[in-house]
Amino acid sequence: MVSKRFVAKRLLLLIPVLFGVATVVFAILHLAPGDPARVIAGQRASPEQLQRVREELGLTRPLWEQYLTFLWDAVRLDFGQSYTISRGAPVRQVIFDRLPITLELAIYGQLAGILIGLPLGILSAVKQDSLTDHLTRVGALSGISIPIFWSGPLLILLFSTYLGVLPTSGRISTQFFLPETWTLFGYELPLTGMITVDTILLGNWPAFVSAVQHLFLPALVIGIYSTALISRMMRSSMLEVVRQDYMRTARAKGQGTKITLLKHGFRNALIPVVTIIGIQFGTLLGGAVLTETVFGINGMGLTIVTAIGALDYPVVQGTVLTFALLFTLVNLFVDITYGYLDPRIQQ
Amino acid sequence: MSTQTETDRRSVVGRIRASPFLSELLANRLAVVGLSIILALVAIALYARVTYDLGTLVSSRLGTEIPDRAPPGWIGPAPFNIHLFGTDAAARDIYKRVMYGAWLALKFGTITVGISTVVGVGLGIVAAYYGDVTDNTIMRAMDVLLAFPPLLLALALVAIFPRELGLWRAVVALTLVYTPRFARVVRGAGLKVLEDEYIDAVEALGATDPRVLVRHILPNTLAPITVQSTLNFGLAIIDLAALSFLGFGAQAGTPSWGLMLSRGVDNGLLTGKWWLSFFPGLFLAITVLGFNLLGDGMRDALDPRMREAID
Repeated sequence: MVSKRFVAKRLLLLIPVLFGVATVVFAILHLAPGDPARVIAGQRASPEQLQRVREELGLTRPLWEQYLTFLWDAVRLDFGQSYTISRGAPVRQVIFDRLPITLELAIYGQLAGILIGLPLGILSAVKQDSLTDHLTRVGALSGISIPIFWSGPLLILLFSTYLGVLPTSGRISTQFFLPETWTLFGYELPLTGMITVDTILLGNWPAFVSAVQHLFLPALVIGIYSTALISRMMRSSMLEVVRQDYMRTARAKGQGTKITLLKHGFRNALIPVVTIIGIQFGTLLGGAVLTETVFGINGMGLTIVTAIGALDYPVVQGTVLTFALLFTLVNLFVDITYGYLDPRIQQ
Repeated sequence: MSTQTETDRRSVVGRIRASPFLSELLANRLAVVGLSIILALVAIALYARVTYDLGTLVSSRLGTEIPDRAPPGWIGPAPFNIHLFGTDAAARDIYKRVMYGAWLALKFGTITVGISTVVGVGLGIVAAYYGDVTDNTIMRAMDVLLAFPPLLLALALVAIFPRELGLWRAVVALTLVYTPRFARVVRGAGLKVLEDEYIDAVEALGATDPRVLVRHILPNTLAPITVQSTLNFGLAIIDLAALSFLGFGAQAGTPSWGLMLSRGVDNGLLTGKWWLSFFPGLFLAITVLGFNLLGDGMRDALDPRMREAID
């Protein structure tokens, strides 16, 4: 089991990192060119108007005061209001609306990677140097080398333009309108924001089918990358493990090959793979940014790209911080899982 | 004379055999394929850089006798005026632009990886050797940079720099993203080298700190550094293209693969004009594959003790 002390220590170690992350984000946005007051007030604003906006934003206060205010706001997850892309709306609301969209995409992609990548990696290792192994390895290397922003458009061309079986972009057909809440035993509950989940909760099957059709290609391009990565790692990890003494001992005591591989091999081989899954979650989030841009999905990724272009600094600040927090938490979770899989780590 | 060449050849073979890293690498067929891809691309890049004039590749050809979006293999009126990969929305020859793109990708990739390697190696070696406060300060700062998803940190950093910098702002942003990776690998490798007794010996002989760092620790961490650079080279080329694709890299008209791809998607993919985006993407994928094949082979050929430092 994982000890409470181990978890507490990991949590404490997070504080300086997150503090540093917030500082970097503050620095980036203060170094950014362009006057936020002009972005808000517009090109034709008078000097007095600009001055008033600056005062409202607190830009006239000393830098250290702005920094401390920013840190305090960040702790409360308050990132101010959007300048341009959702003018006046709290950034927190923007993130709240769009994070589930990105998470849904990342989760399906990662899930596909784990479900296909792990067995492929094991198969490749068990049948080392066979045709299956060679194909898997070359396939995996190609999978991590093909840019998402190339495979995505080509798949759209094939499945949407030529075959006409899947939609080109968006999350659901425009004919469907989803309400804000759903009802369970007479209680009104908020929806999750994840469209495949929401359509099920609402019991709207045609909408669910449409959502799955829209999500299929975006999840596929992320899934290919994730599968490639995980199968590679699983293969090399499994190869390392099958050479260990305890594997020979298990076989020597008369245990079957399959049982030995699954009971002793798999669990030990999984340890480094779990770390890689965690580290690569960051790349996956970057992949989600590209995928959302290619498929016109209005999640966090497309939001940050639009916000940078439109100089919407509070939104950039909020989304980047949220991504970093998410990535850090996933790695914390991975660390804890690691401690569970390999109790020696905890000491 | 032939004996001379024979001896030369033998001594080269002998040296390769003497280096387990090189002989193992060359025995790896996939790594050799990767190396060949990279060498071919270097040749293409240099050829394109010397032969083609960037100005003509950038400027629009609309209004000339060459049609826009002509399919691959379209042959113009003049002899040998074949457009192997077709033309783009501004009637520019895609083949020449893609070839020149190899030069841009390798050039900016080299600069990005080069600077990150030098800075990262410096920081990592100093952290490993001095330990304590120095180590903690450097590595905690690196941890902060590593806490961001890579492409997102690059995106946020790109926002700081003026648009006119073009691909250079992507280079600076990605350098900050990659440097911590090198620092971490080199620190790990450096710590392993420090365990060795000869370091104590040279210190006892009175070697100064810079001398120990540069003459004794650095050469012994070169292998993992090279592997890390090769693996990151592929990533750098893909990330540079990604930033251009998102509109935060190369400026309009530049024949960079990422930008050609995004313009190609906007200007014709959905109407079936696939070649506008297909060829830049294909070359991008092949280049990255080349670096991944070679980097993978290099990692496998690495001394297992050093392999632990990577990842």
